[in-house]
Amino acid sequence: MKQIQPPKLGRKLLSLLITDKLYDEFEGDLAELFQDRLEGLGKRRARLHYYKDVLLSVRNADLRRKLKLYNPLVMYKNYLKIAFRNLLKYKGYSFINITGLALGMAACLLILLFVNNELGFDGFHEKKANIYRLDEVQRFGSVSEQKVALSMYPMGPNLLADYPEIVDFTRYWTAGRTLVEFNNKQVYMDNLVRVDTSFFNMFDFKLIEGSRENAFLEQQDILISETLSKRIFGSEDPMGQVVKSSTGSLMKVTGIFEDVPEGSHLQFDALISTALWDDERRQNAWGSNYLNTYLQLVPGADITALEAKFDDFLLKYLGDDATDYYTLFLQPLTDVHLGSMDITHDYNNYNKFARSSVDIFLILAFFVLLIASINFMNLSTARAATRSREVGVRKSIGAFKTQITGQFMIESLLLTFFALIIAFGLCTLAVKPLNQIIERELSLNLFLEPVNLLLIVATTVLIGFLSGIYPALVMSGFNPVSALKGTVLKSSGSVFRNALVVFQYAIAIAIIIGTVIATDQLNYMQSLDLGFDKENVVTVGMYDDTNEKYELLKTELNNLSNVTGVTATTQRLGNNLHQTSMQYRADTAMIYGSSSFVAVENNFFDFYKMEVLEGRGLSDEYAADDAGLSFIVNETLAKELAASGRDVLGMPFNFGGSDTLGTIVGVVKDFNYNKLSLKVEPLFMSKQPWGWSEINVKVRGGNIQQSIAEIEGVWTELFPSRPFEYQFLEEHMDQMYRSEQQLTKVISILSGLAIIIASLGLFGLASFTVRQRVKEMGIRKVLGASLQQIVIILSRRFTLLVGIAFTIAAPITWYFMNDWLNGYAFSISIGVGIFLIVGIGSWLIALLTVSIQSIRVAKSNPVETLRVE
Amino acid sequence: MKGTHLGEFEELVLLAVAALAGNAYAVAVKEEIEEKAERKVNISAIHSSLYRLEDKGFLESEVGGATSKRGGKSKRFFKVTAYGYKSLKESQSLRQSFWNIIPQLSAQE
Repeated sequence: MKQIQPPKLGRKLLSLLITDKLYDEFEGDLAELFQDRLEGLGKRRARLHYYKDVLLSVRNADLRRKLKLYNPLVMYKNYLKIAFRNLLKYKGYSFINITGLALGMAACLLILLFVNNELGFDGFHEKKANIYRLDEVQRFGSVSEQKVALSMYPMGPNLLADYPEIVDFTRYWTAGRTLVEFNNKQVYMDNLVRVDTSFFNMFDFKLIEGSRENAFLEQQDILISETLSKRIFGSEDPMGQVVKSSTGSLMKVTGIFEDVPEGSHLQFDALISTALWDDERRQNAWGSNYLNTYLQLVPGADITALEAKFDDFLLKYLGDDATDYYTLFLQPLTDVHLGSMDITHDYNNYNKFARSSVDIFLILAFFVLLIASINFMNLSTARAATRSREVGVRKSIGAFKTQITGQFMIESLLLTFFALIIAFGLCTLAVKPLNQIIERELSLNLFLEPVNLLLIVATTVLIGFLSGIYPALVMSGFNPVSALKGTVLKSSGSVFRNALVVFQYAIAIAIIIGTVIATDQLNYMQSLDLGFDKENVVTVGMYDDTNEKYELLKTELNNLSNVTGVTATTQRLGNNLHQTSMQYRADTAMIYGSSSFVAVENNFFDFYKMEVLEGRGLSDEYAADDAGLSFIVNETLAKELAASGRDVLGMPFNFGGSDTLGTIVGVVKDFNYNKLSLKVEPLFMSKQPWGWSEINVKVRGGNIQQSIAEIEGVWTELFPSRPFEYQFLEEHMDQMYRSEQQLTKVISILSGLAIIIASLGLFGLASFTVRQRVKEMGIRKVLGASLQQIVIILSRRFTLLVGIAFTIAAPITWYFMNDWLNGYAFSISIGVGIFLIVGIGSWLIALLTVSIQSIRVAKSNPVETLRVE
Repeated sequence: MKGTHLGEFEELVLLAVAALAGNAYAVAVKEEIEEKAERKVNISAIHSSLYRLEDKGFLESEVGGATSKRGGKSKRFFKVTAYGYKSLKESQSLRQSFWNIIPQLSAQE
């Protein structure tokens, strides 16, 4: 008779629950009960009872499972002891392994710190989610469409009045460096800014004294920063004090604010209300853009819908064709710092940075950490192989597979935490120099916040786990017999390990090639002939009072023996020059347009050695030149003007809206007054009687300090109350590329780290591979192999690995870097040379690393090496 | 007697094993207890007690007696050890010593 059997699933479950040793008896008992019940209760209920019995047997899951004398604590102690002994026994290896990982971790931590800083810019304003900067897209005939951060004076109040979604606005209108006097002491306010009274309601800059709501009660009320207050008033109480500006107006201090934090894109040290300037003319000054406007919207406002309404706004106030020239758009406050790279005339954006660079940093941080982790894993695996005897012994005396796995996992975790601690130490050492390079104030305190600390520890555990799991599994899988014999050494995991070496070397090579190309591009841009001579030019700011004595200043400076020329301008070269409207008469009609403009002294073109292609430069000889009726245009504008069919030279020309027209007298070769990532825009120049904003003095190359001292002497004699300040034009030009320079500097460091870590890994790996082949090399030597031959044999494999890595990395890097260079108007072409140099360079580094090991073996006495057994 | 304390259920199991005299395997013990104590006992509880009692030295066991009913799996027969008997006796005399001094309440009523 065929018996009905207990359910299979139940039996399977029971076998999982109950230890193998007891399973038979248990299953027998349960089966017997099942058969008994089968008669009384029927099949269905018997099965049910069977399942119940199985499930209740959970309580016996640990029965007889543990070895009677097994005490895990003792074993853990043993693991730790062995781990430390191994650390000390292979000091070099441990050093390489832990240092490599620690370097990677430290780099990663610091980058995260930086990224966090960048992402947190302007984050301290409570209303940040509802505050937007009003930006414009400008499209004027000749100038290519551009986004600008500027807006018009009347926009803010009228937007507030017209749209209920807008609950508040403030303008931000810089007055720049302002000299003030208090108790006969002259002090510069570095950055006086005109804002609306709502400023402190929208932004959360901290007030130390004064009222947030009534910050600007009177027109001449002024709020100053803590530092400025100390500079002006020293220990006196600043509140209510009156200072006099150089133009004679009086300002009363009604508030002190904490120095503006580093993480704010707005930087100022004194604030005054716009009320003082708020006359009728200005209230209707549509069309001129010279300030920033910030709007506060109702929470949850539909930005796109609001932006769409702005076209009507422009038509209403600026006239019918306004939308041909302008489009308004809103930029979230938190986006201003990282998202403004394509926005020009962005003068109030402190430490402006590219979001793409932040992304690059993140990717690099990830890869550096990845290289370091792979290293760690690779070295652990390689070294684990030398511990096969230990594993063999452990297994022979009864260690389970899981115990061996556990042991190696614990070791791996231990080492990663070691590395983490060292990484923190490295961070502490590195954070200061790093801050200097990137001009930020990063603080490690961020890591001490519980959430971050938890995250870091979790990541460390993950790294320890992931890099430990492979060696742990490999080790625990050893067959004890062969492990004890020492025969497992050669084969285990070498394909996998080689793949990892290739991978990390490929990353390192890619990063280095990228860095070299980026640095080349930057150097290229800085060394490129800009079309004017910027060497040894000292720029000195001019003010209303100093402009009155301009001619005298010029004459006296020209008399100095070390000065070879003096000129003046309204805007410094090395900026995006301001735009203005223009009009010119073509054959028949008057044509209106817009172009960049800068007012310059007559000798400007000679001074900067600019090449005049047609006509002439400006000159003191012509009355029209001095009267501001002679214009010089650059090639780009000339091309546009020529399109009207009339000769450019002699073309009637002036600012838009002028009653009379002047003449174009010359065409000057295009020069790069702006960043080289941008193309040259149309530009015209003339001398205008508006007062200069700076003079440029060219000094002889020999003794620059002496020359500066002489200029200062002249200056102080003429303007005793004006502190002398100067900047070299070259310095100023370099500052344009500061963001790029910071980027390349940090990336250079990172790529250096990448290759160091990768080499450390290779070094460690090589030393173990070489050790494994000691006997083979001994035999080869006995049979007559020379030192070179042995080194070559040992290095061959690594050469191959680096070769493969290079083959993978080169095309990918080429593709991405080409893409990046396309973003620049003037860019280098990527040569094969860079690839060859980096390729050969990394190969040499690898070779050197391996050779240190192989030469040692090759030199050793075969008697020693062959005596291993 | 520290460490060798017998729980109520353990004592029952131990007594059942003693009573079954040589035929004490889990299923039989379960039936014996269910019959005498008139309560439902799950086999897992019996298993758990039997093996723990063996670990503690109250029981000893040997394997044998596979039947087709059990799917050919053998039984484990338990036997009370001398130490087990001693403990049972001690437990019994401990209870008796209490009974001896309890006033005969029912007799007075």
